[in-house]
Amino acid sequence: MSPEAPPRRARAADPRLDTVPPPPADAATKSAGDRSSVRPPYLLDFFPLESERETRLHRFYERLAEGRLSTTRCPKEGTLHWPPRTACPSCHTEELEWVDLPERGTIYAFSAVLAGAPLGMEADLPFAVGLVDLDGAPLRLFGRIEGASYTDLRIGETVRVESYEVGDGRVFYRFRAGPGPGGPPVA
Amino acid sequence: MSGRAVALVGGATTRFGVRPTTWAEMAQEAGAALFRAIPELRADECDSLFVGAAEPERFAFQSHVAPLAAEQMGLRPRRILQRTELACASGQSAIRSAYAAIAAGLSDIAVAVGVEKMNLPSMAEANSAMGCVMDRPWDGPHGATAPPFFAMVAQRHMLEYGTTEEQLAAVSEKNHRFANTNPTAQFYAKSFTRDKLLRLPLVAPPLRLGDCSSMTDGAAAVLLVGEEFASRFTDTPVWVRGTGQYSDFHNLANAGSLTDWVGLKHAAREALGRAGITVRDLDLAEIHDCFTISEIVEYEALGLCGPGEGGPFAADGRGDVGGDLVVNPRGGLLGCGHPLGATGIGQAVEVYQQFAHQVPPSRQAPDPEWALVHNLSGSANVHSVMVYGRGRAA
Ligand SMILES: [Zn+2]
Repeated sequence: MSPEAPPRRARAADPRLDTVPPPPADAATKSAGDRSSVRPPYLLDFFPLESERETRLHRFYERLAEGRLSTTRCPKEGTLHWPPRTACPSCHTEELEWVDLPERGTIYAFSAVLAGAPLGMEADLPFAVGLVDLDGAPLRLFGRIEGASYTDLRIGETVRVESYEVGDGRVFYRFRAGPGPGGPPVA
Repeated sequence: MSGRAVALVGGATTRFGVRPTTWAEMAQEAGAALFRAIPELRADECDSLFVGAAEPERFAFQSHVAPLAAEQMGLRPRRILQRTELACASGQSAIRSAYAAIAAGLSDIAVAVGVEKMNLPSMAEANSAMGCVMDRPWDGPHGATAPPFFAMVAQRHMLEYGTTEEQLAAVSEKNHRFANTNPTAQFYAKSFTRDKLLRLPLVAPPLRLGDCSSMTDGAAAVLLVGEEFASRFTDTPVWVRGTGQYSDFHNLANAGSLTDWVGLKHAAREALGRAGITVRDLDLAEIHDCFTISEIVEYEALGLCGPGEGGPFAADGRGDVGGDLVVNPRGGLLGCGHPLGATGIGQAVEVYQQFAHQVPPSRQAPDPEWALVHNLSGSANVHSVMVYGRGRAA
């Protein structure tokens, strides 16, 4: 990894504690459709552990918290990876660099989950998901698509990348359809 | 194929469905059914056990299931005891591992059993278990499970080739009709016309309930033996003649084309090539119809028809009795249900029974010489293929 500023927020103050801090009181209202304020047990939680003491990819989440979707690139070959990596799958160098990704993309395929949601996502039903070709980057990312009913989405439609707070200090990314206001702009 | 010839000499399947029974109890049930199906078999001569189980940790809160299954089945393996996990292909992986061990001379008489308990009091927890099959920290938080992925495959296939909901329903109608001849199937004695299937609720558009295989509890077991032991157990051994596997991605971002399953082409070429045949030689195929669209894309990737012709292939009955070959006569995953670890074993049981002419005439492939079994796993990112023949390798 290329050297970069240290993480700007530390989450779990005491590393001996095997818990995360309780979510802020307004967490449930920060973004519609997100999880309730009750965090599921780690082994039933799809959202990853994001801090520096839990993953070598913590910069991905730190940049995401600033509204920047990013990934790793191999400096030797210029290849973009998805998901971000700690070693290049082609030349196996571990000296990778972080790059920001485009903030817009085009829907390649989509569907919706109308029933059968995993634990913690039942209240989200129905929700749309899709594969999105990022504009100007050779990556086709899978993700939740907010901001429109699946019946109104179309292949070829433009969507925006946005980051959001999971509700307990963690962040994740998703797509938002239509021209309306989304999350913080992506750099 | 070089090495020692390996025969499939019998097997048995428990009832598949929403079962009021546990993982361990189903392992017992599969063992009892296997010993009933092969009365000549003695427990003390089974030197090895391979246990196909996808997610007992999630669905049954149980690890180390290989010795658990051995104890439940009354076996004391003394050569190889091993669990195989490859999600939806865990059962076929058990058979492949048993085959490899016998071909290598490390085992003579091996049992391959598949067990999965999937129905829990909490469907959301069961759905979470299914979500873990994907790239959990990247695709999982978006709500990725199999139905929306295969729905996107269907959407692209419809866009690129004009495939219709009616053609999807044709697959489901055929496999449910076959399941009506299979008392172990989850949907035995349940009738699904194409009209009825097209009125079922959407699960992940364009896929409806009848386009999707179910959460299923079930188990199955088969016996594989070295060539010199086959005649002790059956007059109709079925010979493992080829295997192939291929995997080229895991994260959904790296899937490439959704409608051209390159991995299946590679796996089938490897397996058919080892058997020395082409897809035209097949009399029956048990292929992975986790969703209706899967069977359609598989027709194409196997080369049974050209790209984009899978929908008409289904609607014209070319995979039905009286067609080019019989596809999924057991009832498929759609009709039998899909207990992940047991599915591949159940398919092999059907192949054995087809070659022995032990199935009802309405699903019997005429005098079969060659059969192919296929499982995909996850988001069709792994393809596993085995080819079975009536004849031992020349
Ligand atoms: Zn590289």
